[in-house]
Amino acid sequence: MSNGSRTNLVLTVLTVLFFGLGASFWVQLWGKTPVVHQNPLVDPAFLQTATWRKSYADLIRGKEDLSDFDCYGCHEKKSPPKLRFGADQKIVVPDEHSDVVMGHGQHGRNNNCYNCHDEQNLLQLAARDGRALKLEDSVPLCGSCHGPTYRDWEAGVHGRTSGYWDRSKGPIVRQLCVNCHNPHSPKFPGRKPAPGPIPLRQANPETAGAEPTH
Amino acid sequence: MSDFHQHEGPPEPEPGMDRRSFLRTSAVLAGGLFAMAASLRPLMEMEDMPSAEQFLQKYYKELTPADMAKVLDRIERDVQKQYGIRPHVRDLRPMDGVEFVYALNLTRCIGCRKCVHACVAENNQSRSPEIQYIRVLKMPHGSLDIEKAEHSYSPESVPEKGHFYMPVQCQQCRNPPCVKVCPVHATWQEADGITVIDYDWCIGCRYCEAACPYWARHFNFTKPSIPKERINPNMAYLGNRPRKMGVMEKCHFCVQRTRAGRYPACLEVCPAGARKFGNILDPNSEVSQILRTKRVFIQLKEELGTSPRFFYYFDV
Repeated sequence: MSNGSRTNLVLTVLTVLFFGLGASFWVQLWGKTPVVHQNPLVDPAFLQTATWRKSYADLIRGKEDLSDFDCYGCHEKKSPPKLRFGADQKIVVPDEHSDVVMGHGQHGRNNNCYNCHDEQNLLQLAARDGRALKLEDSVPLCGSCHGPTYRDWEAGVHGRTSGYWDRSKGPIVRQLCVNCHNPHSPKFPGRKPAPGPIPLRQANPETAGAEPTH
Repeated sequence: MSDFHQHEGPPEPEPGMDRRSFLRTSAVLAGGLFAMAASLRPLMEMEDMPSAEQFLQKYYKELTPADMAKVLDRIERDVQKQYGIRPHVRDLRPMDGVEFVYALNLTRCIGCRKCVHACVAENNQSRSPEIQYIRVLKMPHGSLDIEKAEHSYSPESVPEKGHFYMPVQCQQCRNPPCVKVCPVHATWQEADGITVIDYDWCIGCRYCEAACPYWARHFNFTKPSIPKERINPNMAYLGNRPRKMGVMEKCHFCVQRTRAGRYPACLEVCPAGARKFGNILDPNSEVSQILRTKRVFIQLKEELGTSPRFFYYFDV
């Protein structure tokens, strides 16, 4: 066999080999390119960092409508509104205040409006030790009963924080009790959780519902 | 020139190559080259080929400030090319006298998973397929048995009666098993306690994923997909810059925020205030107060000796 024909033979074999390889990729003999299925994006509501309630202090700061807090628009000064109790010793919330859900304390036992509101002046709050507090300054009122929680809150241990942990770089943003707790019903209401993890198996319609293979 | 005109008839063929054999060889060669090109098809389809700049980039700890400036510029250009947004990429170093600690109040956590998604948004994690740094475990009251935990719960309303929730993410161990197994030193523990990954140095062997007892490390099996409008442009080299296919990633306590003095994203979004973060070397920080005054601490899988910087506690 001459040199030239040997070269030709080698080249021909290589060509056939390369064609074979090319064809195998063309028909995806070695496995298909995985298709990535697009998962639905999470609702941006779950990314909100704002608190779910606004405190009276927030309303003042935001220059919002304060007419709901104008007690003496309806009530008369120097005549404390009378409380009515039902047969089960539970307070009867008048229709004008139907937005107030009474649920403070275990079994709703803290059910006397004047435990916190000042009987003589509805525009302020009254702590049990006799201090009169403004509506926007409600934290010491809560603290007058919830001592350990108040201590934790002052140290930043209870409650939400945001902003800067390093006070030399910027301010820390604190929230008041009533930014997270409804004072009339402080227990957190239940909420819908954000969507859970989507495993690869579940994201792909071809394999969804199949048992894991490992 | 006069020599040329002396020739009669067709010119003498060159020795060893006539016209016919030349054509045949050319055709065979062209066919052969086409076949070779066809056989290289997978190479041509490869995306995410590193640029020469990226390929020749030095190890993170060997980069001079001038090198780093070039690298950050290269990353900014890459991100702009891919997502159409010019990000602000920084190389933030640990601060002196700072060691980060995380404390999570299991009594407060309501299992709403807002932290999971705030983390994904902050840290530019892949949405499809999903990569999430935080896994919220639902467990029955009265035990802390991870075998009984469930993380794919989806009731109408949380918290559910008789259960508590335990979010698990990177525990930033003092004695991290993931760092020990890395064959190329692409992951290490920094002076402020954060275990970081150099995504340009990682070879994707997934040893660290196997070594981590907390399931905190995640692998990019495909090219991460992030919608352009959800890119967070505030980025850090060791933090949330977009990753590529074939590298590991994990929670890094939001270095792009915390090393600039801010709180992590998961903490700010928590509606129950269950998450607390700060400098344990500062006696007045929230975490110092918690470790000093609260009664029960759990370091998850304490018996393994990993010594997490992530503490779980209960209160009344």
